[in-house]
Amino acid sequence: MKHSLGKILFLCLHLFWLQASDFDYSIQVDNPQPYAKEATLVTVNLKQTNHDIVLLFDFDLLKSDEYTFQRVDIKELDAYHAVEISYTYLVYPLKAGKVDVSFSLTQKATTDESVAYSFSGDRDNVKGLVTTNTHIDLPSLTLDVKPLPSGTELVGDFTLDYQINSHDAEAFEPLPIQIRIKGKGYPPLLKKLLPKEGNFTRFTESPLVSSTSTTQGTINTVTYAMALSAPKSFTLPTLVIKVFNPLTQKSYELVVPKQTFKIHPLERSKLLDKVDNPAAFIFDWSWLETFLSYLVVFVAGYLFALSWKWQKKTKQKKEPLKEKIQHAKTHKQLLQILLSQDKKYFTSSIQKLESTLYTEENIPLKQIKKEALEKIQ
Amino acid sequence: MNHKINLLKKELKKAVIGQDAMIEGLLIGLLCDGHILVEGVPGLAKTTTINALSQALGLDAKRIQFTPDLLPSDIIGAQIYNPKDHSFSIKKGPLFTHLLLADEINRAPAKVQSALLEVMQERQVTIAEETFKLENPFLVMATQNPIEQEGVYALPEAQLDRFMMKLIVKHNTEDEELEIMRHVANKSFTDIKPVLNIQELYTLQEEVTKVHIDPELEKYIVQLISATRNLEKFGMEEVKHCLMFGASPRASIDLYKAAKAKAFLEGKTFVSPSDIGYVIHNVLRHRIVLSYEARAKGMRSDEIITKIVETLAIP
Repeated sequence: MKHSLGKILFLCLHLFWLQASDFDYSIQVDNPQPYAKEATLVTVNLKQTNHDIVLLFDFDLLKSDEYTFQRVDIKELDAYHAVEISYTYLVYPLKAGKVDVSFSLTQKATTDESVAYSFSGDRDNVKGLVTTNTHIDLPSLTLDVKPLPSGTELVGDFTLDYQINSHDAEAFEPLPIQIRIKGKGYPPLLKKLLPKEGNFTRFTESPLVSSTSTTQGTINTVTYAMALSAPKSFTLPTLVIKVFNPLTQKSYELVVPKQTFKIHPLERSKLLDKVDNPAAFIFDWSWLETFLSYLVVFVAGYLFALSWKWQKKTKQKKEPLKEKIQHAKTHKQLLQILLSQDKKYFTSSIQKLESTLYTEENIPLKQIKKEALEKIQ
Repeated sequence: MNHKINLLKKELKKAVIGQDAMIEGLLIGLLCDGHILVEGVPGLAKTTTINALSQALGLDAKRIQFTPDLLPSDIIGAQIYNPKDHSFSIKKGPLFTHLLLADEINRAPAKVQSALLEVMQERQVTIAEETFKLENPFLVMATQNPIEQEGVYALPEAQLDRFMMKLIVKHNTEDEELEIMRHVANKSFTDIKPVLNIQELYTLQEEVTKVHIDPELEKYIVQLISATRNLEKFGMEEVKHCLMFGASPRASIDLYKAAKAKAFLEGKTFVSPSDIGYVIHNVLRHRIVLSYEARAKGMRSDEIITKIVETLAIP
């Protein structure tokens, strides 16, 4: 582009100088007969001729399905009453034949007072610049677009490189492939780079596009990231992209040679997604396990409580006082035991014991014991 | 003289059904010039018993309901200004009586309790600059309610020591309660007549002091009290950590007197070991202080006393 546009700039220059009421304008085209998708530099110059007014311009190309465009430069001599503006566009015609490039221009006329007021107004009460707008119908620029050679997929000066990390993989293991097309020309975006399915499955994502447009043309880098997956070994056929370079007027090919991938078979069990796979259809008996464990704990607790109660009962049944009375060997021992209890119902037994101990009366110990034991019951 | 005691008991039975232990305790207190602390739930004929006793003895009886806002002057009396002749006169409080029922003594703050307990010990009251001796007999029967713990001022151990005995009053048996119900419903309680006068009571008190007690039993009493202070010495290692403080010398004196009175009430002229055994729990249960460990184990002072009596050999 650097050479081509520079060489033919003046050769193919069509210069239009037209006169409007308040300004002059001209349209320059570096290549009025481009190929389809070949960059054409269009420059529009506007020059104020009526110096009594303040002129502003609102200019752009109109959008169309027949071409795409990008403004790549603007030069302004922004002086009141003597505006000179130059707009430069890179236009890509999208079809062969006559392509009309249309313009949109609005002339905005205002006064010095209006400009001054719009700048000096209070910040809380700013008034916009008051202009008198006039739509100017500029004649469209007709490009005589030449058709591309048959089968052309890209237009420009491109190179291709690709990256395949491995040609060996296990079944259904993704094989990443990256293809990158770099160069100057119409952005090399392809709808179909690889067949979607053959004896493999292709996974793609949107191509990563990096484009920079200048007056020298558009420099592009487009990266296609893909992954292939297959159950068995397969061959990726040769990939051929037909490109036409308008500057050399020659076609050439970008090629990714045939690639053979060796797929190692894999056990079916290993193919299972052990992280996100649904649970196996097995009847879940864990609730029963939990229930039984709770039941065991409950029964253990219940039995423990019962055993505690039994133990208590057994202890109560022991009745140490009875044992003490039964084990008393002498009247005095029995008296001591009964006195210590502070129980009124032992009074008669105590009296009998004292009678035996401190008088001549002799009541058998066994009899008193029996009486005392009966009182306890 | 035992005839008089039987008459007195019979007269009291007209108004009080059951509660023999409380009546006996009161009589022991009366005969020994001691004061009685009664612990029991309301409605167990404590006031009735005091009133019946006063009527049967022809003595004066008064009742003070202890409350948190009670002041010492409310019970001992105060000096009152007379604007007519610009003089001060003494207004004696309800303490000036023979039999005093101090109801719910632990509801009053410490200053009122102290005022009463000091009077119980000194048997004299000082109002302004004048000191009054209380007439004999002077018996205080104080009550405590064991079921309420909120808003009560527990009696300190040192003050409790001034009570000769602490009686635990329990509910009557079902038969007794049936009889009480019928009597109260039919208003069939008969009036109590005086069967003793003060002079005769003095004579009875004198008789009690004459009851013989063997020196061996005297030593036994001292040993029982001493055992409360040093359980280990008497071979009670297993409960040696259960007591914080043992009984004071007042306990020995009161046990000695109470045993004599008990023997007298039984119509005996001498004290036998059973007389000591009958009163020892009442005399000691409020005088020994259980340790934290014992209280944590849920032990009661009666269990320690039982252990001591069981362990120490009877003479």
